[in-house]
Formats: sequence, C-alpha cells, structure tokens
Amino acid sequence: MTTGLQLEGLHKELGGRTIVENLSLDVATGELVCLLGPSGCGKTTTLRMIAGFLEPESGRVVVAGHDVTSLPPEKRPSAMVFQNYALWPHMTVTKNVAFPLRLAKRPRAEIAERVAKVLELVNLTHHKDSRPGRISGGEQQRTALARALVQEPAVLLLDEPLSNLDAKLRVRVREDIREIQQRLGITTVMVTHDQDEAMAMADRIAVMNDGRIEQVSSPQELYSDPQTEFVATFVGSLNKVEGRLEPHGLTPEAGLTSAIRPEAVAVVPASSDGALDAEVVRVTPHGHFAEVKVKTLGEVELVSFVTGPPPAEGDQVGVRLGEVWRFRDGKRVR
Amino acid sequence: MSSDPDAGAPVAGAVDDDAPAAAPTSAAATGTLTNPRRVRHRARVRSLRGLLMASPPLLLIAAFTGFPIVLAIAYSLGHTGGLNSTTALIAQHQHVKTEWWGTLGAYREVLTNERFQRDLRVTLLVTVVSTTVVLALALIIALYLRLAGGWAAKALTVVSVVPMFIPVVIASWAVLMFYAPDGFLRSLFAQVGLEGPTFGYTVTAIIIAQVWCSLPFAVLMCASGVQAVPDALIDAARDSGAGLVRTTFSVILPMAFVPIVIAATFTAIGIIGSFTVPYFTGPTAPTMLGVDMANYFTAYNRPQQSIVMAVVVFVAASLIAVTYVWANFRSSKESGA
Repeated sequence: MTTGLQLEGLHKELGGRTIVENLSLDVATGELVCLLGPSGCGKTTTLRMIAGFLEPESGRVVVAGHDVTSLPPEKRPSAMVFQNYALWPHMTVTKNVAFPLRLAKRPRAEIAERVAKVLELVNLTHHKDSRPGRISGGEQQRTALARALVQEPAVLLLDEPLSNLDAKLRVRVREDIREIQQRLGITTVMVTHDQDEAMAMADRIAVMNDGRIEQVSSPQELYSDPQTEFVATFVGSLNKVEGRLEPHGLTPEAGLTSAIRPEAVAVVPASSDGALDAEVVRVTPHGHFAEVKVKTLGEVELVSFVTGPPPAEGDQVGVRLGEVWRFRDGKRVR
Repeated sequence: MSSDPDAGAPVAGAVDDDAPAAAPTSAAATGTLTNPRRVRHRARVRSLRGLLMASPPLLLIAAFTGFPIVLAIAYSLGHTGGLNSTTALIAQHQHVKTEWWGTLGAYREVLTNERFQRDLRVTLLVTVVSTTVVLALALIIALYLRLAGGWAAKALTVVSVVPMFIPVVIASWAVLMFYAPDGFLRSLFAQVGLEGPTFGYTVTAIIIAQVWCSLPFAVLMCASGVQAVPDALIDAARDSGAGLVRTTFSVILPMAFVPIVIAATFTAIGIIGSFTVPYFTGPTAPTMLGVDMANYFTAYNRPQQSIVMAVVVFVAASLIAVTYVWANFRSSKESGA
C-alpha cells in the first residue's frame, strides 16, 4: 500500500502554548483517516497545517512523496471542505464549484464538463444556478464537497463537515461522503469530535489528546482494544474503578485503574455461579436497551446495558464481568 | 446518491410555506380559539401605533425641510408671490412666471451660463477624482489591515481616522498653508535651492483637502466591510488556488461591495455639495458649485439662480443615491432575502 500523506514530527505552538506536539501519521492512498478528539486537542490545527494555513515550527508534510511543508495553501495538492462550508454567497453553485478550475486556467469546455460531472456526482445539478443562500444546509455541504472534488486533489481534508447538519441529515450525508470517497479513492483526512461519525466513516481513527496522538487503529480495534485510559474513556461508554477489579470482586491497589465496557457487564439472576451479588440502583430505558446501574456488596458501582426486560430498581441481582482492562499512569497494563 | 430530506428548503431568508398553516393547528391543539377578524384588527392597531410613533420626526422633516424645498423650487420656476414674496422683494434679476405653472427662464439663464457650465465641470471633476482617490486609499488601508494585521496596520488605521476629529475649516486652512505659494512645502524646497510646486488656490488643493476630509469615514466603512468577510471564505479561496490578488478581487471586494458603495456614495454626495473646502483652498474661478451658490445667494443677491444651481446639484446627488439604493437591493437579493 502506497502512502498518500505522511506527517512527520509536526510541532506547532500558538501564543506560547504547544498545540500539536511531535505528531506523526501515515495515511495510505485512498484511505480515510479521522482525527478524533475533544475540543482544543489540536486536530483542526493539524488539518490546517496539512492544508498550509498554518506553518509548523518543525516537522514535514509529505503528499504523495512530495514535501509540501513550505508551500502556501494555493500551491498544495490538497482541497478542504470547511466546517461552515465557506461558500462564496455572491457566486452561484456552478461558479463556486468552477472557481478552482478558472484559477487553474483550464479551458472553458473542460471546466463546464468537469463541473457538470461533479455536480451530478453530488446530486446538485438541479441547483446549479442557485446561490448558496437559497439552498439547504445539506446541499451547501455537498456544494462545498463538489468544490473540493472538482480539483481532483491528492488529499481531501474535511473539517467537521457534518457538525452544522441536523442529526437525521448527518447520517445521510456521512454515507454519501463515504461512498464518494471510496468510489473516487481519494486519500482523506477528516476532523471530528463525534465518535459515531468517526466510527461510521473512517478506515482508521487517530485519537488525539493534548496535541498528541494517543492511538491510531481501526474503529473496531479502537473500541475493543484501547491502549490508553483516555482512548478507552473517550470512545464509547466505560465503567472505571480504582483498584484491581476481578470476577470475584475489587482488590485495592494504588495507582491502578480498572475499566470495563457496560456491554461486558452481564446482569444475571441473584446467586448465579461466578457472579457478584449486587443491587439495582437505577434503570434508564433507552428504547431498544436499558442502562442498568448496579452496586455490588463491595460498594462498586457498575453500569450494564440490558437488551431484554430490565430488572426493577431495588432488585437483588448477580453481576458477571467480562473483559476488564487495567491502566497505570494512563497506559494499559496486562 | 439520494437527495436530502430537507432539499429545497432554503436555509436563510426564505419563506416557510408551512408556517401559516402550522399556527392555527397548534392553537387548536392547545384549545385556544383564534378569531381571524380579531387578529387582523390587532395587526392594524399595531401598524397604526408604529405610524404614530414615527410621525413626529416625519412631520418635522416635512415642515422644516420638505415645505421649504417645495417653496424654493416654486420660486425657481418664477412663483414670486405668497411665502416667496419677501425673498422676491429684495432679489435681483429674477424671472417671474409667465404661465400658470411658472417659467423656465431662471433655468435657461443658469444652464446656458458659461461660468456655471465651467463650475459644474469642475464640481464633477473634483467629485469623481476625490471619490476615486478616497476609495482607493480606504481600500488599500482596509485590505492591509485585513490581510496583514499587526501593529503597523492598526496604527495606519488609527492615523487615517484622525482627520475626522479636525474641523473641516481648520483642515482646509492647514492644507492651504501647506501648499500655498509661501507655504511649508515651497519653503522646504527653497531650503535646498529648489522651486517647489504651488497647489494653494488651485483645483488640486481642493482635491487634496477633499481627500483629507473624506478619508476617515471611507476607511471606517471599507475596513468594517472587509473585516466582516469571514476568514473561512478567504481560506477557501486560497485553498482553491487563489493568490492574494485574486482572493482580493474575487472574494473580499465583492463581499464587501455594499459598504464600499455606501462609502463611495456618501463621499461623493459630501464632496459634490461642499462649500468650506473649495471656499478656502480653491481658486476664485473656476470654483465648485457650493461656493457659487453662496455667492449668488448672498454676494450677488440672486437667490433664484442660486436655487437653480442647488436643484442641479440635488439631481446629481440623487443619481449617486440611486447607486446606493441599487447596491442595497443587490445585496438583499444575493443574501436570498
């Protein structure tokens, strides 16, 4: 597999504060990698360094084997879809999409052909003469995507492209983006703080925290095999207790944190074999499952996801534990 | 690829066709009975109340500006009786109406007067050149502030606004003193044995002073317009391959179009009717129509001709104002309203 984008030791400081620290990442050609993390973790700064809007203090950005670190944004073989779409309101959809090609001084016929093709790809042909203010949020988003795709970039950069859409539309558009990205085989880096979005779209996810990458893995691996406490906590729901949690109970141990996913906590009838005795503290229905909070005799509170009929609050139940992860100083220990 | 569930529903400034239908439904659901006649009555009362609130200033304008304008235009057409009789009694060389509607004698006299024609040309020349220079300088400063930023750009903006706090009469006098035959500039040249240029009492001095006085407002308008262009739109242009010049002309200036047009129209209207600057800094002849109007009104005691000139300037200013209205109309059309 060839490398479409390489980030080598990127370091960025803003206002005397380190925003991105020695960040390295390889993205294969045609791969979609999500930079996932909380606000202020440096993911957008990283994306803006790839696009050329920010210059790193040190490190390199290599696109398809070419070092582009010193190039301004207009000279880079990347195209970005901005969070607020950044469509020019005084231009029609067609003019917005054609703008990069006009700048590249492509022949008029070629511009018309490529714009028509990309508008068809994003299903916007019927709005080609509309101004951005006259079309919906989803259509604006697709116009921005078309403007980026028409450049046939070596790297497509998506900066929280779905954050301004309502929940229902977001699911539809993320499927559309993923489908187009896979069909065209464009190397893509997407920034998001929404783990569902990252899980649904990415080939691999790079979880960022405090300017550093905590872990780069496939969505499934990230969820089922987190390497740090931050990743385990940030991706999905988690029960955390101080000490060593084992199937027979909790043993105090300084500096050790045990963690278990709610789906690895099974609520079984009281006094079942190999189960801890517990009392149901709270039941929160979520439609197709219920979130059941139990307290064991050792005063350990755990949350479990129950898909069948949930127990009632105050019921005495048993709790059987699945895989428990242990972390020391934030790092996973066996 | 399928279309959006919300496809066709405009994001901004669009009318939601479902909205009127939704109101009675929700009212019925909550058990509130809505009488359409009462709703219409309340709307009428609300609009009447608004009109009443706006009427005092409107009446003041009508009484103290509108009515004198009507009287003045009537007088320029030779209606010398009624409320114009006092002015007519002392005025010289006036044309009295020959038809029921009046006469165009005063207009014919002024418009065929070579001196007026020359001064009209000077007025238009000063207006066009000064406005162009003001706009160019204001845009350069605004763009510098927007794209470069930093303390130098901020300092330049502050300096460019300083003339706003200096009275026009003092600024005019300062410009005159600077460029006069015995002014600072020529004295400076003389120190090194050179013959410096003399701009004092020339049309050039008028233009320099007009630019000085008009620049602050234009800078404030243009800077606010250019600053209002979101960073993302500039970044998007650069990401699409546009350099600084192309980004400026394709994105920043079109998006700041309305504030720029407002700056241009207000500057032009201010200059076309100016008196103090040309009176102090310009030559006796040719001069601008503002000075001519004052001379005809007071020195020559020919108010009718003065009013004719005012009407001509008003027509020119109205043409400029049309540009302003057109820009606003274009802006609201673009924003999808």
